[in-house]
Amino acid sequence: MSAASSEPQIVEFVRAARADKAPFEIVSGGTRRGVGRPLDLPPLDVSGLSGIVKYEPEELILSAAPATPLAEIDAVLAAKGQRLGFDPADWSRLLGSNGVATLAGAVSCDASGSGKLRHGGARDSLLGFRAVNGLGEAFRAGGKVVKNVTGFDLPKLVCGAHGTLAVLTELTFRVYPKPAHHMTLCLADVTPEAGFAALRKIALSALEPAGLAYLPAAMMAGVGQGAALIKLEGARAPLEEKIALAHGLLGGDITRIAEDPFAAIGCGEIFADAGGDIWRVFVAPSDAPRVARELDARHWLGDWAGGVIWLAAKPDDASRVRAAAAKAGGQAMLLRAAPESRARHGLFAAQPPALAALSRSVKAAFDPLGLFNPGRL
Amino acid sequence: MHLPPTDASIVARRAEIVAGLKAIVPDGVVADESGLATFDADALSAYRQTPLVCVLPSDRHQVSEILRFAHAEGIPIVPRGAGTSLSGGALPRQDGILIGMGRMKRILEIDYENGCVTVEPGVTNLNITKAVEAQGFYYAPDPSSQVACTIGGNVAENSGGLHCLKYGLTTNNLLGVTLVLPGGEIVTLGGKCGSQGGLDLLGLVTGSEGLLGVVVEVVVKILRKAPVTRTLLASFDSVPAAGECVARVIADGVVPAAMEFMDRRAAEAIESYNQPGYPAGAEGILIIDADGVEADVTHAVSRVTAIVAECGGRTVEATDEKQRARIWSGRKAAFAAMGKLGPDMICMDGTIPRHALPAVLAEMEELSRRHGLGFCNVFHAGDGNLHPLIIFDMMKPGDFEKAEEFGADILRLCVRVGGVLSGEHGIGVEKRDLMTDQFGEQDLEQQHRVKCAIDGRGLFNPGKVFPTLSACVEQGHIHVHGAQLPHPHLPRY
Repeated sequence: MSAASSEPQIVEFVRAARADKAPFEIVSGGTRRGVGRPLDLPPLDVSGLSGIVKYEPEELILSAAPATPLAEIDAVLAAKGQRLGFDPADWSRLLGSNGVATLAGAVSCDASGSGKLRHGGARDSLLGFRAVNGLGEAFRAGGKVVKNVTGFDLPKLVCGAHGTLAVLTELTFRVYPKPAHHMTLCLADVTPEAGFAALRKIALSALEPAGLAYLPAAMMAGVGQGAALIKLEGARAPLEEKIALAHGLLGGDITRIAEDPFAAIGCGEIFADAGGDIWRVFVAPSDAPRVARELDARHWLGDWAGGVIWLAAKPDDASRVRAAAAKAGGQAMLLRAAPESRARHGLFAAQPPALAALSRSVKAAFDPLGLFNPGRL
Repeated sequence: MHLPPTDASIVARRAEIVAGLKAIVPDGVVADESGLATFDADALSAYRQTPLVCVLPSDRHQVSEILRFAHAEGIPIVPRGAGTSLSGGALPRQDGILIGMGRMKRILEIDYENGCVTVEPGVTNLNITKAVEAQGFYYAPDPSSQVACTIGGNVAENSGGLHCLKYGLTTNNLLGVTLVLPGGEIVTLGGKCGSQGGLDLLGLVTGSEGLLGVVVEVVVKILRKAPVTRTLLASFDSVPAAGECVARVIADGVVPAAMEFMDRRAAEAIESYNQPGYPAGAEGILIIDADGVEADVTHAVSRVTAIVAECGGRTVEATDEKQRARIWSGRKAAFAAMGKLGPDMICMDGTIPRHALPAVLAEMEELSRRHGLGFCNVFHAGDGNLHPLIIFDMMKPGDFEKAEEFGADILRLCVRVGGVLSGEHGIGVEKRDLMTDQFGEQDLEQQHRVKCAIDGRGLFNPGKVFPTLSACVEQGHIHVHGAQLPHPHLPRY
């Protein structure tokens, strides 16, 4: 396998690939290679570009090489009472990978866990990056300060681009204080309609929740027909105040849960042992109960107060899942499936023609020959 | 001012172009001299150009037809919201169509279930909040021009405001837009769903300064008002001590809703302007808002008070809503008050890392001495977004040039300490030629290739954001003459 462990090496590699018109797959930890259309291309291993480049806790800014393990970043930030804002989700358990989940992998796949509710996705805290484009040119974009409107906001584009625009070589994030305590509340034995309504009520309150999920009986024992789970956080006194306010908003029998169920929800680990294909269906939160009933899956849950529905489905259900999402004006992402299925259905449904043409033009502005992960997105 | 040269062949076809536009928008074409004069500048009024023609569409189909027409005819397009840009983003062209979005100002949907509002681009920023405040909600980004500026303009400029330290810029509060592309195609980017898949073109378009298309519909997030807000006034014996305090508050993990700085010169001017009750004799003043649930606010206030004391400062807290409003009224009148300090001034807008505040504030004093011009500082300290105001006299030969050099030196200083040219005003024509100070050739070429991918003919807002190779180094600024600001009714902070 070809490998590069510095930006100049990547430049050299891309220039050679360009000369040969030879597309390749970009790989760091390799945990997400099973996402999107399978690529039968020689990989470029960039796992050597690892490590924190600069961390300024007093400035709440962190720059790291793309293949830095998420666990390493977590540990370094936690030692200073801080965390990444986008709650990066490690899908390795779900996807059955033994690799190490990296920063650039999470950014490229727009992989956020339940905590996306709090500070947004990777796009909302990626301040700047360095990368090599398909012309073999190293460039940088964005900046290293929290407020910046200088030039086009290219950092937004690389989040969720699945490595199709450029080979990232450095990422700079705004980081956030990590609240000292958290607590998950459970409103048990509620229908999806009642459960999601409760979650939306909290989402639209001033409680700044860090997790809002509905789990049906099949996903959680001892909660009757289903549970609305509400994760709150803060220093001790503010957390207690938020819990009291949540009680006031929802009434009913709310209990406290000792273990944090969101650890297994946000990264899909809760579905690791479920058979079939794993989907994430993105809808407007108020549509979640209706779409969930229409999807009619045994193993499913709704996170982000209903903004995403996870489900396990039979491989021949693909068209039905896509249709249900489309009907609700949403989008269905095929996260885990056999290679043939991923090749056939793609990661997302095809975009409308004008939007697809626009996306292609923007892609070509970075990578005109289509060298990087072609077709994966 | 170096916009690309006016294309005389387009100007020669003016009558035909006006007729073409009237066929699309019969009741919305401004072509007479006095009518066009009202559109000849935005809030960067040192620069003026009369547009070839101005068209005011009332729906997206008209916008699409106009762009299709302009594309076929090869005519430049300059989009305009309310014309409150401080960087010349809506500066017209003599050979271009100015497309004013002010007539499209309907609120299309208020969706309390999903916490969002769908509006046309001409709705003002403040009217979004007004539409939802009775239910306890608001739209978070609050640029100083919020009574007048439109949401379409906010999307184009990625506008900030006093509270973006905690709540983010426009881009963080936007769920979707419908955009008309240069060729007239209509695309919808983003929406109410948790994610859309595909490239984040919504993120690209936000802050693209009218270079990529015209926004015809916007979906924004609304937030629940925080149950408690408290306001502190902290005063310091030195400017670097105040800067040190800001850096320490951020490092402590407290995220105030707003943290604003002003120096002695600014505070005294404000005090004599509208008497907000700022402490006399302080070299630096901070106004700090903490909001959230009560216990969070209590914690933040006690931490901030302790840090202010560590930095040698004193804290006073507003005792009631009336006093809070009074403290903020001074800050919000800052620009108008500064107008009394000298005949003319220009306002800069750069961002620096917060730990660099004390050093940068000290170096600005040195630059002031070197250039022989006074200045004062009023800015969004919490996110390191500086707005130094340079005082000069247009009537004094050479003074304006000195002010420009001083301003450019401040922005270069921002870049040198790891910051950027613009925190919230945008590049426009104002800072276009300083872009090469921040970005290398390949960095700019990558941005430019994205521009070309969407607007291959370069018809959208040409001459803005990207420096032209032939242009000499120049900078522009908010220019204030005789205390008369463009849009004098707008507070500027």
